[in-house]
Order: sequence, then structure tokens, then C-alpha cells
Amino acid sequence: MRIYVFLALTFLSFGQSRWTFAQDMSLQEILEPDKGWVVVTEGHQFTDGLCSDLQGNLFFTDVAKGGPIYKVDPEGKVSGFVTNALKISGLKIGPNGTFYAATQAPEKLIILIGLDGKTTVLATNVVPNDLVVSRKGIVYFTETGKGRIQMISPTGELRVADAGAYKPNGITLSPDQGTLVCTDFDGTHLFVFKVEADGSLSSRAPYMTAVTPLNKIQSLGDGMTTDGSGRYYAASAVGIQVFDPTGRLCGVIAKPENKFISNVTFAGKNHGFLYVSSSDKIYRREMKARGILYQAPAK
Amino acid sequence: MNRLRFLLTLLTAWTLPPLVHAADEYKLTDDSLRQEGVPQGEVTKHTWSTSKNFPGTTREYWVYVPKQYDASKPACVMVFQDGGSYVRTNGEFRTTVVFDNLIHKKEMPVTIGIFINPGEFPAAEAGAKGRSNRSFEYDSLGDTYAKFVLEEILPEVGKSYNLAQTAEGRAIGGISSGGICAFTVAWERPSAFSKVLSHVGSFTNIRGGHVYHALIRKTERKPIRIFLQDGSGDLDNAHGNWPLANQEMAAALKYAKYDYQFVFGDGGHNGKHGGVLMPDALRWLWRDAAR
Repeated sequence: MRIYVFLALTFLSFGQSRWTFAQDMSLQEILEPDKGWVVVTEGHQFTDGLCSDLQGNLFFTDVAKGGPIYKVDPEGKVSGFVTNALKISGLKIGPNGTFYAATQAPEKLIILIGLDGKTTVLATNVVPNDLVVSRKGIVYFTETGKGRIQMISPTGELRVADAGAYKPNGITLSPDQGTLVCTDFDGTHLFVFKVEADGSLSSRAPYMTAVTPLNKIQSLGDGMTTDGSGRYYAASAVGIQVFDPTGRLCGVIAKPENKFISNVTFAGKNHGFLYVSSSDKIYRREMKARGILYQAPAK
Repeated sequence: MNRLRFLLTLLTAWTLPPLVHAADEYKLTDDSLRQEGVPQGEVTKHTWSTSKNFPGTTREYWVYVPKQYDASKPACVMVFQDGGSYVRTNGEFRTTVVFDNLIHKKEMPVTIGIFINPGEFPAAEAGAKGRSNRSFEYDSLGDTYAKFVLEEILPEVGKSYNLAQTAEGRAIGGISSGGICAFTVAWERPSAFSKVLSHVGSFTNIRGGHVYHALIRKTERKPIRIFLQDGSGDLDNAHGNWPLANQEMAAALKYAKYDYQFVFGDGGHNGKHGGVLMPDALRWLWRDAAR
């Protein structure tokens, strides 16, 4: 009987490709069965700022305590990488290999941090939360409280890319970088933009609908990342929400524990591990999906 | 499992594929094929890139005008989502051929067909891909797509043709997400659309559409006539189970005493059965408007 069912499914699947392009992706295609969350590091105060490099090293910060940018190598060894006294809420590596950071204290800034720890200020008089850097070297950062996204051109020009009645928080790009996505911390949607040739953002739409805790309208949508198939991952109150490239919810990955999660990214060997910053800890789990790097060349 | 049963299973597996293959085998009837002496309507292709409801999108749409169209009288209107698939004359639906045949036989009224493709955000530069807006437009509940049709496409087509302004003279249809989209338009604007045609409709939780059967039962009946088609081989995935969802829809429509038809075959997630049923569905939907 099983063989019959298998054959039936095989035959039926022939007729389905036409209406199921790059959509209807399920959690089963993403998660490794029997591979759950594992603690990578603990004893921090409020972890955030997850990002990774080409080698699969993970970097993170403690936005409450400040201190170094931490590095976790693919084997799981944790070290302080770049020492500084800043409190960083958003961190990414740009096309030139240096860090771009959104700082909370002692001042709210967008800065460049070289591997030698030397910092360069890119923007002042800003209230940044999280950021993403395109292959062209354009920085997009969210100003959650102000309800806007600002951008900094490679030549250092700062301007408002979008503003509206929403609370943009986490921010990421599609693999081809033609689409930008952000979470809305206080809302029920994720907003999606077209990235124009000059890097400006257009056509904002509530393209994805987030799951919220029962009887609440706030998703608490926070840090985001993208995988190689163009799926979007967003930290949120109910877990890590995953959307396919057409904006359909694939499902919600459970949080490692019942605590606030601030950010999510792929790192480790082949960028095949999903890392999440959960309050005082960093967790990771092995995935079928593979991450994509913002600074990597287009596929 | 003993040996005999194992052998029987193998034998069954060997002999069943032709039977499985026979499922979802539906043959078009004469009403879907060109008939000699039947006047053919004209199809024109257009582009819409200035949408206010879906800013930044561009899309193609086609307008079919039957030979019998008389500009002095308002023609009925039928709007199809995923228009490119419905307007093709060698595809599963061949809608314009069916229109020609049924209008000629006076089994449906003189009807202008509007076949709209979903919107797309064109790539800004080489190396980037366009992004489809189909799921956002079709799967979302609410009235945005209804406004798009009523405030953008119908007025635009109405500049060239005398279109019916009443719900009785307007129908809307689609396949899969386009099916639930058609239902959503009529559900949101029953004063504008009175007839819905749904092929393998996605009344599942892609973006919350699984609630419709429950809403139908507890909402005062709306003046909508609905033709639903689905098959036992339709999808079962993270969003839901299409055959069960369509059966739930049919049961709710029956409970709430809607004017509906539900044809449940053995097909999969495609337009084969829906295409073969197209002449019957149109006759049934337009039965009191034809003359």
C-alpha cells in the first residue's frame, strides 16, 4: 500500500510545478530533523548584532554591557575579537571586510570598525537600531523610534530612504539585493521595498504578515537574515518566522527558551547553522538551509 | 508482511500506475474547441504600470470583445486572474473560445472578458530579478485587490467599451490563489460582483484564507453565486489541505444557503478539470443573464 501511495504522489507531482514556483516552502525543507538548539555561549547580558564572515565565523555583541565584538569560530570557540567600549545593537560586515555598526552608547552613531579596532564615524545625529550593507557599500539602517530607514551612500551621503507609521527594526536584503525587507516591531507585517538602481527604496508594501502572540497585534519583529533560497528569517515574540520569496509564511521556528530573541543569522561550516541571540545566551542549530552573505557576489 | 501479500503489493504497484494516470484525465468538449461558423471575438493585449493600489508593479492584461458586442448596450463583464493562462487558446481553459461558442448559442450573455496577470516589480538593474506580487495580491484577505479591479482596471477598459455597472452583469474567476482572490473580491464587494468561478481555489492558510468557511456560516448571506471546482489529488502542504478546504467551503455555502455548485473530481493542482468544466460553469453562472 505504501508503494502505491508513493507512486500516486510521484505521478500527481508532475502536474504541480506550474502553480508552485519558489513558494509553498515548508519548515521541513529548512530544519534538520532531530537537530535542536544548542548553547554556544552564555553569561552575557543582552546579546545582539549577529553577523558572519566568509569563513563562517559568527560575530556578536552585548548591547547592554558593551565591550568587545565577540567571535565564535565554526568549531564553537568564543573569543573577544575587536575590543572597544561601545554598545552595539546592529553589526554587519561590508564588502571591504570591515565592520559596520549601529551604536547605542556612549553615542548613537553609525561607525566603521576596522579589524584593528580603529573606528570611523559615518553618521551622527541618528537613532539607529539595526543595519545592513549592500554589495555596493550602501548602508541601510533602521531608526525604530522615528519610524524611518536611512541610507548612507558609499561616498558618505546620509539621507532618509523611507519614513512611515511603522517601527522598522531588523533589516535584510534578498540574495540579488533588488529587494529590501524590514520587520515592524510594533506591527503585524514585514515591509518590503524595491531597491532602485541608485540604491533608493521604493514601493513599500506590507508584503508579509507575521504571526503575533494570541490577542496581540505586536509581532516584536526584530533582527533578520536571508538564506540562499531567498527565504527571510525574522526574530519575533513567537519565534523565528520564516517567509518564502513570495512573502508566504513557511512557518515559525521555536525559540530556544522562553526569552526575548533579538537577532538571527547563518554562520558556521558552510553557513549551515542558524544562530540566535536569546537574552544572555547565543544558541545555534544545524539547518538544511544555507545562509547567504551580504558581501558575497551575486548568484 | 507475509510473502504472498508482499507479492500482491508489488503486483498492485505494477498494475496501478495506469489507473493513477487515468485520474485527472479530463477531455475538452466541443464547446471548448473552435466551431465552424461561430464568430470569433477579438483579443487585445495591454500593460498596466501605474497601479495606485499596488504601487511600483507592472502587469499585462488582455481584453476579449465578442463579435456580438454592441456599443449601445452595456456588455456583461468577466474578470480572470492569472489572465495569461485563461486567455490562451491552446491551454487548459481556452476561455475566449468557450465565450465565442456560448455567446453564439445564446447560452451566456454578450460578455467582455478581462484577463489580468498578477503584478510584478521589474528588476531595477541587470543581475537583479523581478519580484512577483501574486501572493500578496491574491492570497491576502481584505479589499485591496477589489479596489484595484474596480478603481483601476474596469475604469480603464470602460474608456473603450460599454461595460455593465451592476453586480448581476459582472463575474470574476481564477485558479488556485486566483480562485480565493476572485472569492475575496465578491465577498468584499458583493454590490459589484455577483458571480464567482473558482478552480482549485486556495482556501487555505497561505495568508489567512482558511477562515472563509467559518465566516460564511456566521455572516448574513451575501448575494453571490459561486461555482467551486477541486479534486481529491489537490495539494496538501504547510498552508493546508486543498481538497478538505474546498469541501469545507462547499459545506459552509450549503449551510448558509448560497446559490453554489461544487464539482469535486480526482484531479490535482491544475486547470485540467476546471478547463473541461468551463462551458458548464459559465452556463450555470450566467443562466439568468443569457438570452
